[in-house]
Amino acid sequence: MKKIFAILITFQLFFFSLLAQTGNLPPVDKSPMDMSYYPVNYPVLKIQDKIAEPLAARVVYSRPQKAGRTVFGELVKYGEVWRAGANEATEIEFFKPVRIGGKKINKGRYTLYAIVNENSWTIILNKDTDTWGSFKYDAKKDIVRAAASIQKNDTAVESLAMAFEKTGNGCNLIIAWDNVKASLPIIF
Amino acid sequence: MRISFSLLIVFIFFIACNHKEEKKDTRIIKIPAIDSSSMVRPERTVNPYVPVDVSPMDMSYYPTDYPKLKMTNSAIKPPYARVVYSRPHLQGRNLFKDVLKYDEPWRLGANEATELDLYSDATIQGKKIKAGRYILYCIPEKDNWVVSFNSNIDSWGLHPDESKDIARFVVPSKQTNNSVEFFTMAFEKTNGVIELVMAWDNVEARLPFIF
Repeated sequence: MKKIFAILITFQLFFFSLLAQTGNLPPVDKSPMDMSYYPVNYPVLKIQDKIAEPLAARVVYSRPQKAGRTVFGELVKYGEVWRAGANEATEIEFFKPVRIGGKKINKGRYTLYAIVNENSWTIILNKDTDTWGSFKYDAKKDIVRAAASIQKNDTAVESLAMAFEKTGNGCNLIIAWDNVKASLPIIF
Repeated sequence: MRISFSLLIVFIFFIACNHKEEKKDTRIIKIPAIDSSSMVRPERTVNPYVPVDVSPMDMSYYPTDYPKLKMTNSAIKPPYARVVYSRPHLQGRNLFKDVLKYDEPWRLGANEATELDLYSDATIQGKKIKAGRYILYCIPEKDNWVVSFNSNIDSWGLHPDESKDIARFVVPSKQTNNSVEFFTMAFEKTNGVIELVMAWDNVEARLPFIF
């Protein structure tokens, strides 16, 4: 009888030690994180000594998948603040001052949200960084709200994608998912 | 016999409760210890804007799960640190037979160089490291990992420029009974010691931080 308990205890201790070892290590996210720079592919250019213009911006975001759903108007409700990502709040960083929506934005890190409508998007930069999603979104901490132009695509994009593209006076932040591509002008 | 039996029950109960409390302190939302490649869904068609990486990016904060803690506690102090890294996976390979070589620099991740953001000054093995952004890479040796802090930020992980090293720290690596499929970095506080855990396959190294 004592032996059985001893075995039970040993087993239990072993079980808890296993939990202690692996239980806290983070699993791989279903919506993987990614980052995009402007200039496009800056990190690769940097190690190749091919940098042609200085570092301007970076976005760090997580990439949920469409997974057969209608994204805009259903999964992402029209007129509501959307976290434009998943998990940790989407972060945009400027490495020099820029202008967005007619407003000067200082260099630094911001949290990015969006309000999606059928024919227009509003992009929000908010100063409450290092947060999770849009669950604690506080409009009082907004830095700017700016309009993004949208374009409907014929083919659906499966994973939310963000990238910068060069323009005549700076760059656009592209946010594409399902059949919509939004472009936010960033001037610098 | 009966007394020892009830003592054992109490003991088991005590361990179970203790464990639960420990979990509650560090984790608000419980994450199961899943570590499987099936978690990353393959893209059915190539993404015309940005393809999804085979080695997904991830970030870990100290305090652990800071963004989630912030959701439930708006008065929380700013975080101390975070690491942003990409997570290569084994896919049937053996870490030190097929993937890494001893004594050769390894980027501690994949793709963009692994980044450490210190939001406040830290002390590591007696050396003060100022708040700021660094990239990390590692030289794994048989029994130690040399972790290098480097100032060549916003770069790609290959070919680290050793002339831009800020500091190097040697930490012991150890064999574990785990088999971690995806390279994992996370801050943990164990017995009052804050450590950056670096784990892949059955190898683990821990770099202690004092804030």
